[in-house]
Amino acid sequence: MKIRLLPPNMVNQIAAGEVVERPASAVKELVENSIDAGAGKIDIVLRNGGQTYLSVTDDGHGMTKEELSFSMERHATSKLPDDNLENIVTLGFRGEALPSIGSVSRVVLTSRAFGSQEGWQLRVDGGKKFESKPAAHPQGTSVEVRDLFYATPARLKFLKTERTEMNHTTDAVKRLAMAHPNIAFTLFNGERHILKVSCSQGDFISTRLDRVDAIMGNEFGLNALTIDAEREGLRLTGHAGLPTLNRGNASLQYLFVNDRSVRDKSFFGAVRGAYRDFLAHDRYPLLALFLEVPPDALDVNVHPAKTEVRFRDPGLVRGLIVSALKYALAGAGHRASTTVSQAALGAFQSPINKQLFVQSAQRANVTNGFPEASGYSPPGSATSALANLDHSPSAKAEIEIDGNRGTNENFGDYPLGAARGQLHETYIVSQTTDSIVIVDQHAAHERLVYEEMKATMNSEGVRRQGLLIPEIVELDEVAAEKIVEKSGELEEMGLVLETFGPGTVVVREVPALLGEINIQGLIKDLADEIVELDDTLSLKSRLADVCSTMACHGSVRAGRRLNGGEMNALLRQMEATPHSGQCNHGRPTYVELKLTDIEKLFGRR
Amino acid sequence: MKLTIERGMLLKMLTHIQSVVERRNTIPILSNVKFDAPDENLSLNATDMDLDIVETVPADVEVHGTTTAPAHTLFDIVRRLPEGSQVKLESTGDSGSLVLTSGRSRFTLTCLPTEDFPILSSGELPYNFNISAGNLRDVIDCTRFAISTEETRYYLNGIYLHEAVKVKEPVLRAVATDGHRLASVEVPRPEGAEGMPGIIIPRKTVTELRKLIEETSEDIAIAMSDTKIRFSFEGTVLTSKLIDGTFPDYDRVIPTANDKVLEVDTKSFADAIGRVSAISTEKSRTVKLALANDNLTLSASSSENDLAVEELSVNYKAEEMEIGFNSRYLQDITQQISGPSARLTLADAASPTLVQEVGDESVLYVLMPMRV
Repeated sequence: MKIRLLPPNMVNQIAAGEVVERPASAVKELVENSIDAGAGKIDIVLRNGGQTYLSVTDDGHGMTKEELSFSMERHATSKLPDDNLENIVTLGFRGEALPSIGSVSRVVLTSRAFGSQEGWQLRVDGGKKFESKPAAHPQGTSVEVRDLFYATPARLKFLKTERTEMNHTTDAVKRLAMAHPNIAFTLFNGERHILKVSCSQGDFISTRLDRVDAIMGNEFGLNALTIDAEREGLRLTGHAGLPTLNRGNASLQYLFVNDRSVRDKSFFGAVRGAYRDFLAHDRYPLLALFLEVPPDALDVNVHPAKTEVRFRDPGLVRGLIVSALKYALAGAGHRASTTVSQAALGAFQSPINKQLFVQSAQRANVTNGFPEASGYSPPGSATSALANLDHSPSAKAEIEIDGNRGTNENFGDYPLGAARGQLHETYIVSQTTDSIVIVDQHAAHERLVYEEMKATMNSEGVRRQGLLIPEIVELDEVAAEKIVEKSGELEEMGLVLETFGPGTVVVREVPALLGEINIQGLIKDLADEIVELDDTLSLKSRLADVCSTMACHGSVRAGRRLNGGEMNALLRQMEATPHSGQCNHGRPTYVELKLTDIEKLFGRR
Repeated sequence: MKLTIERGMLLKMLTHIQSVVERRNTIPILSNVKFDAPDENLSLNATDMDLDIVETVPADVEVHGTTTAPAHTLFDIVRRLPEGSQVKLESTGDSGSLVLTSGRSRFTLTCLPTEDFPILSSGELPYNFNISAGNLRDVIDCTRFAISTEETRYYLNGIYLHEAVKVKEPVLRAVATDGHRLASVEVPRPEGAEGMPGIIIPRKTVTELRKLIEETSEDIAIAMSDTKIRFSFEGTVLTSKLIDGTFPDYDRVIPTANDKVLEVDTKSFADAIGRVSAISTEKSRTVKLALANDNLTLSASSSENDLAVEELSVNYKAEEMEIGFNSRYLQDITQQISGPSARLTLADAASPTLVQEVGDESVLYVLMPMRV
């Protein structure tokens, strides 16, 4: 067989294999074109999850007849005005999307250019272009794609169910919509309305928060911290959820680089690093972060679908993300997410419809109403308290500190208020000017002790136990090199190692805190993490584990009776300690019930 | 099987036996103890497949026979029987149960077939020698605290026993280390041990053996190959598998060039460490040793900046230096030193330190310092 040039249509189909993976990627490419065309409103309609029909209509600057014809040629683009790949300011630039889509489906392009009086329509069937003809169209462009992948049956077979494909499309559109709050989006599947966000006016950051809320849910908006940090020309803005608002997977973590949604491993690593102290390892925070990077410090020409980017200085980006998140979280102090109190409120049930006298049945009912999974066991219910009138609080704060009642009253001005009593020897109830606060004494104190230990460790350094027989660990060469590069950072955490021939490191000292440990395992975990996420999480988390176990043993247990002075002291310490709003596993240490919420419970509002 | 035995004697046997038997077993028969009354003796046998113990005592046997019964249950029963009572054990081959009667108490225990009871085949044990119980106790006591508990370095989870030559004298040397400290002890090589392979005796075996030889004054007969070891004395036979691994070349970590010699009074040194370290709240209780001419200052601090300082007059002529240790490690060592004074030979704050009893060259400890 001789080597020959492939026919252009073949080339387009091959390119389509990379660019147009599924309906969602076609939608993404088309919507990006619309955004680059300066659209203010983008409407997306799909049928059968986009397999039989999808269309994207915008009100951007449109195309003339000549442009229309050119647009279906490979590597034809209106972007890259100065032919410079170093300075990409548009979402697209490869000039591949339209011809690729055109080569595998039946496309109808209709457009009227800005200022022009006439609209034109162009039809392309499996890469075959027909004559353009005049057509009626408002200013802007609409692209209709029918029978996607009919020309590449192999790809057609690989499509998943309509539902799955639709989920992918929704996710793609959501990402685009989050990054562009000044554009209105609608998304329909057949007659079903999937997403509708209108464009809002006002300050960019706040409009974006509105947009992010609209997409990630109102809950996120209420519990988000605003991030705004800048370092060496990089700017990170966006919103990060409080640790007490978390999920079982990382699907609600969004990173946008120059308004382009990116899935970057090191980003997920940085997020894990920043939240490490507040969440169990299998819980993930919610966030939407927007990174602005000078175009020349970034290479987006890595992946045809552009879901990956390369930074000129990945360490700087990582550092910026971690420090910005940590800073914001530290600022959040003892704040716990409002969802917690919402959940608690939901658990309270009004006794109106229940037979107060049928006690046993009643109790079973009420207990079922409490969310067991939240790990928060409520201090008795309204009804059981009624049934057992002789139940008195474990301790009453006011009685204990009657002598200085004046000061007690003033405590009401503190964020966590004045302690009013202890219930079930486990929960401290306090009163602020406008709410009731219930504190889990063990979780709260544990966190306080833990934070104190961490502070000591940071100020005094980690003590290191020398190894009599240095441990030799074999790794692959890249991993060994990377881990040795980090040796300075590791030494601060008590692990001293050095290189020992290619692909081998020798460990000389280990953190004394860890006692006798599986060094081989630790080093291998660390090496994997450093290669993958550029972080030393496993060592940090092991040290933290020891600290938290010690903190757990060294703290006030549930079931211990506290007097008023002790309770107030605990509340004041919580206010003064960063991150005291959640325990080491992301569970809240206290719940705040606003007076307005309580009034709602009683039907006063 | 039918026999009568005095409660105290049975209890003593069961005490030894049940500690070999694991609390939870996936193979039911391993929870059982095997009774065997072939003649005028009763022998009890238990195993965890790595370690096997057999104890034999005279008993009043009426009918010969064998059976197996749950070890921990039996132990709990016999322990609660009144002192000095006679225990009657009877099993009928067909019903599969063991009936234990004592006074007015009667227990019926379900048995498992004797044929299922695993026998730890010892194979050929070509090396045989005797060692006095006292010597063996010393060897174990001086080394076992340093045995590693870290499972991944399984070859450190035991005592390394091997033949060595010291100043032309052939010796039997036992070494244990957990990577942070090392203990080594020597006894003159017993006759019959020449040419023996270096073996690693597992931690559990060491613990059980130490309990068994607590009171005996007899010589312990040791027989071994390179995979098994057997200790026999006074009707007790303990057979154990050995750890199949290579003990690291520990000789290299025993410092020979350390030049700073510190001699302390063992008791006051140990007491001072105990007092000073009481202040540190952290897990690794660091104690700092500051050495000057004939003066040792021990100090420790806590994270709350509490401070403890104690001075000791010692024998030290070298230049001034400071070094930190894990106080628990130091105490482990000082506890084993029975003589009035101990000698620490140091190099610098980052190098291993050698600890020995003054006048006893047979035992040595090596300790890695802690860095602050």
